[in-house]
Amino acid sequence: MSQNAEVADQILVIGAGMAGIEASLTLAAAGKNVYLVEREPLFGGQAIKCEEVFANMECATCMAAPMQQEVLQNERIELLTLSDIKEVQGVAGDFTAKITKRARYVDSEACIGCNACFDPCPVSLPNTFEEDLGERKAIYISCPGALPNVPAIDTENCVRFAGEECNLCQEACMFEAIDFDQKDEEIEVRVSAIIVATGYDLQDVSQIAGVEYTESGNVYTAREMERLYASNGPTEGKIVLRSGKEPTSAAIVHCVGREDIGYCSAVCCMYSFKFVHYLTDKLPEIKLYEFVSDLCIPGKSYQAFYEKLKDKAQITRFQNLAISQQDDTATISFQTPSGEDNTLEVDMVILAPAIVPAKGASELAEVLGIRYGEAGFYGTESGIQSGVDSGRQGVYLAGCAQGPKDIARSITQASAAVGRLLASTD
Amino acid sequence: MKKRIGVYVCECGPNIAGAVDIDRVLEAVLSLDGVAVAEKYGLLCSGDGKKYLVEQVREHGLTHLVVGACSPKQHELTFMTVCEESGLNPFLFQMANIREQVAWITPDTEKATERTIRHLKAAIRRVLYHTALEQKEIETNPDVLVIGGGMAGISAALSLGSSRKVYVVDKRDALGGKALKYEKSSPGMANSADVVENYLRGIETDENIEVLTNTNVEEVRGFFGNFLVKLRENDAESDARELRVGAIIVALGMDPLDSEVLSEYGYGKIQNVYTSLELEQANVDGKLGMSGGGKPKSVGIVHCVGRKEAGYCSEICCTVGMKIACYLQEKFPGIAVTEFYQDLSIPGRGAQVLYEEARRAGTEFIRATNVQLSESDDKIKISYERDHDKTEEKPVDMVVLLVGIGPPADAEKISNLLSVPLGKGGFFTEEHAKISPVSSSIEGIYLAGCASGPKGIPETISQSEAVAGKILAGLVPGRKIETEAKTSRIAENLCMGCQTCLDVCCYGAISYNETRGICVVNEVLCKGCGNCAAACPSGAASHQHFTSRQVYQEIAEIVK
Repeated sequence: MSQNAEVADQILVIGAGMAGIEASLTLAAAGKNVYLVEREPLFGGQAIKCEEVFANMECATCMAAPMQQEVLQNERIELLTLSDIKEVQGVAGDFTAKITKRARYVDSEACIGCNACFDPCPVSLPNTFEEDLGERKAIYISCPGALPNVPAIDTENCVRFAGEECNLCQEACMFEAIDFDQKDEEIEVRVSAIIVATGYDLQDVSQIAGVEYTESGNVYTAREMERLYASNGPTEGKIVLRSGKEPTSAAIVHCVGREDIGYCSAVCCMYSFKFVHYLTDKLPEIKLYEFVSDLCIPGKSYQAFYEKLKDKAQITRFQNLAISQQDDTATISFQTPSGEDNTLEVDMVILAPAIVPAKGASELAEVLGIRYGEAGFYGTESGIQSGVDSGRQGVYLAGCAQGPKDIARSITQASAAVGRLLASTD
Repeated sequence: MKKRIGVYVCECGPNIAGAVDIDRVLEAVLSLDGVAVAEKYGLLCSGDGKKYLVEQVREHGLTHLVVGACSPKQHELTFMTVCEESGLNPFLFQMANIREQVAWITPDTEKATERTIRHLKAAIRRVLYHTALEQKEIETNPDVLVIGGGMAGISAALSLGSSRKVYVVDKRDALGGKALKYEKSSPGMANSADVVENYLRGIETDENIEVLTNTNVEEVRGFFGNFLVKLRENDAESDARELRVGAIIVALGMDPLDSEVLSEYGYGKIQNVYTSLELEQANVDGKLGMSGGGKPKSVGIVHCVGRKEAGYCSEICCTVGMKIACYLQEKFPGIAVTEFYQDLSIPGRGAQVLYEEARRAGTEFIRATNVQLSESDDKIKISYERDHDKTEEKPVDMVVLLVGIGPPADAEKISNLLSVPLGKGGFFTEEHAKISPVSSSIEGIYLAGCASGPKGIPETISQSEAVAGKILAGLVPGRKIETEAKTSRIAENLCMGCQTCLDVCCYGAISYNETRGICVVNEVLCKGCGNCAAACPSGAASHQHFTSRQVYQEIAEIVK
């Protein structure tokens, strides 16, 4: 095979959430070789943080894990975790990408994922994957069931990397998998096309005017709620406040930050009603409130889901909402649509923050030479098109990197990006 | 041939070796019927471990392999590959999960050892009844049939035409569908007709795309890679045309919700009450205005028409209402446009831009329920409840009803022809609403656009390109497709032809042979879910890798 033909069969996919996984699997089925680059030590994106997904309340891990296993077992897909794109040069048909693959310090081939290395580690710190609601060691996997099931050493917190004599994890490993001498690697790949599927983040609620949110209070973000309900989460699915008490009342607030960002994030109404299911499932006596501005439940199946749950919570329309925290409670001050001022005190407040571009999105856009809008999402939502165009030939977009959307639409767009890619090379 | 089973227990470092007395386990299983060799090994999934297993199979002339190790989820495929490498059929293998199911959860070594013995004995008894299964390869036809020539159909055809023959069939006399009737497409407000015409030019100039208008699909037989389709022209006495294709795309589009709902709003009785589609048509025809001529000074746009009855939100009506407001404000400067909405469903950045544009142009938005229309003098009186209590009224010259999106009129007919079920709202059901949104439950039949539920044009194009992606990846000219090895079978002599299995088969893999009075499994379509085996009242249907005997043998040993 000539070198050009070889390059034609190589594709780079950036981001290994649901969109990146779908794109990679479809490309591999087409006979392409895929470099799937993920900056985290685990893959699966945001979906795997959910215990269940709307509207069928399916177990998210059960949905994602078979696809993840397929990625790990597929010989055509090389998953590069802990990796960042540093530079992209060339043109459609022949790009050269420089990737930094940070050292994991655990040999993926030798490790069998038995986790014996965690126990002896003397360092404990908040687990960011669990939104700091749980702890992890300096050698860790993000959560039980995380894939690949290979720990990584967090060098910023490992005492050995701070200069102390410690090799307790290495001693505990029966498979000689821990390798403190591993080095970061600079990898250069030549590919014919790139699919960007770098996902999203939630808006930082501590920056929103009128919302009092501290990491010790009774106000939680949607993602904290997901991890509280998760059976593989910090409380193993028990819904308890930071104080250790079970909440007897909770308010779920929609559209948090919408005014700041200026658009509807598409999925919050649905997951907010999913939380009604979460909370009543675990705490049948809990009193629930949903603070809604406009219900966005589009499509043939979402309204039925809403109707099933709407009577389990008191639904209140609001404007001008503010949240403050007290020792054991939180208070919501709001105006009703007719302009009356009102307040409500509850044990727990759950915020549905706006969906914003993933951290580092604009920097990556510069590296890739692709278009990004005012809000920071890639490509455009204007015109009549599927949204996979990045503004640079040979570079395609998929999933929430292009704008907020649910899992089905992310998956669709990932297949669409592959469709465009394959149609242009046939 | 005498059965020679090899049993191998993985120590998995201290994970199994530290919790189980493996030597005792080996001793206990070695004497069992059919067991030729029982050994332990440090780490069977390692490179050396796999090599060791290949050598063992060859050296001992093993006919079956049993591995006691971790969860099959982790390494079943690893050891099946080992089987293949050593020349053993990979289905003559069974894995016992003695790490997760025994070692990790049983602190007492004595108990753990006993349990391990039981798990292994169960695997050994089961594997004795395994049969060698083969993954078959079949030749395929890469060509594609697209049913429906609207935006969904033509964008899919254009993505596929460069690599294969594509037939676009539409019962209407021209392609283009409803998008041709829109001046602009919401939310992006690009010129819709221009874009569609551009697509149509692409279709015309693509030699690989054959357009069959005024044509109906009459019959579909076959399966992924090998469909046989019969087409006939509308009202034609002519012979049916037969096509061979490998994949089918359902791109039937949508039809507005039932007209019964409309009459409740006085539609058809009160003058100057239009549906959104009628307004779009009048707009592109340059006939926007009052029914007797003249310019409207005030227009009410009523959202969510039919939503309550249909039980779902049609997703695009809010932005269509805003688009119409923009049309009206542009054509009739100074006009008062009021949108009567329940909830603004405007997800995403594009929709927000349009919303702000409509507001800037002076559109008033009123959250209203219980909207009713009546004639009063020359006007139409809109009465409504604001915030669920105050009843208010607003007289307007013209009313536009934003009618919800219903399934395409042909949905039922095509659903029956293809055996693709209809679900919520009467739309086609996806294979999986979240992770397989453009596939149907029948392999090789795909769904694009509104056939599977209401959606806007950008999302429709996204689905069409996604279907193209699936087909370009999975149905490559000259490449054979591999079928599932673990399929079901129906024993001819036991089947009494009751057809219970037909109802439970999710993949349309079973057919009833009328002449023989029995049901038959198509092994290419069967995915091995086992529904038929569970439902069959006469025991004729069985799953080849989960036969009753295999399962009973395993259970008998595990519950001993």
